[in-house]
Amino acid sequence: MNLFFLIISTLLVIFSALVVLSKNTVHSVLFLIFSFFNAAILFLISNAEFLAMTLIIVYVGAVAVLFLFVVMMININFTKLKEGFLKYLPFGILLSFIFLTELTVIFSDFVVDFKEPKINIENLFLSGNSNTKSLGLFMYTEYFIIFQMSAYVLLVAMIGAIVLAYNPKKKVKSQDIFYQNNIKKEDVIRLTDPNNKEK
Amino acid sequence: MEIINYLILSSIIFSIGLLGIFINRKNMITILMSIELMLLGVNINFIGFSYHLNDLSGQIFAMFILVVAAAEAAVGLAILTVFFKNKGTISVDKINQMKG
Repeated sequence: MNLFFLIISTLLVIFSALVVLSKNTVHSVLFLIFSFFNAAILFLISNAEFLAMTLIIVYVGAVAVLFLFVVMMININFTKLKEGFLKYLPFGILLSFIFLTELTVIFSDFVVDFKEPKINIENLFLSGNSNTKSLGLFMYTEYFIIFQMSAYVLLVAMIGAIVLAYNPKKKVKSQDIFYQNNIKKEDVIRLTDPNNKEK
Repeated sequence: MEIINYLILSSIIFSIGLLGIFINRKNMITILMSIELMLLGVNINFIGFSYHLNDLSGQIFAMFILVVAAAEAAVGLAILTVFFKNKGTISVDKINQMKG
């Protein structure tokens, strides 16, 4: 278990670094997908089965594909995008190194005091609930308001994305049912005399 | 696994995301991907604590983070496409129209 965790976390760190450092953006997206798979395996060995599957479905199935679509939609010369790379590299490395050092200093004498867990996984599991069922038992009852709020967040994001990407100038041939129902006979039918040669 | 392993892993991934935001000044797509990486690091932290403390609350919180990350990615990419349509570039340095 320990060795497995080490292998998976090493792969995760390597592929996350490749996401950031890769020259080609398509490769970056593929490395991102790979690191999400590794994170899903990490979640699986940490007793979070439902979240692991959600990570694969939501990230790999939706978000990463969205990124790929945008990369393919945008017709740009991606080799020119790395021009300022070396200019900002020292500053970025310095800043992330400082951040990482601070976190490591905090974690080095970090003691977790064991309290009674609010929602005990062990008890839920022993009473015959799977991970998914126990998540549902609490998400739909105790965290119901937050659940509804997250639904509104998704709704607003969806409407926002549609409004931003919608292009009203483009003429699209579509049915106007109100116009069609209100049309009068005189508007569309013109009576002519068949005997009249001149029409 | 000990909690310290999860903490170190999540902080390394968060720092990689931070680094990615700073070094990819010309490419907004990679910046959005770096933000996703940072959120993944936070999620690993939550899952680690959930596993260690035997508490399901962390998993529920991580789930809501997934929701916010998906919403953020959708809106961010929509803004990116509109920006590219108007300016013909995805460089962050070119976003200076509001500058006085």
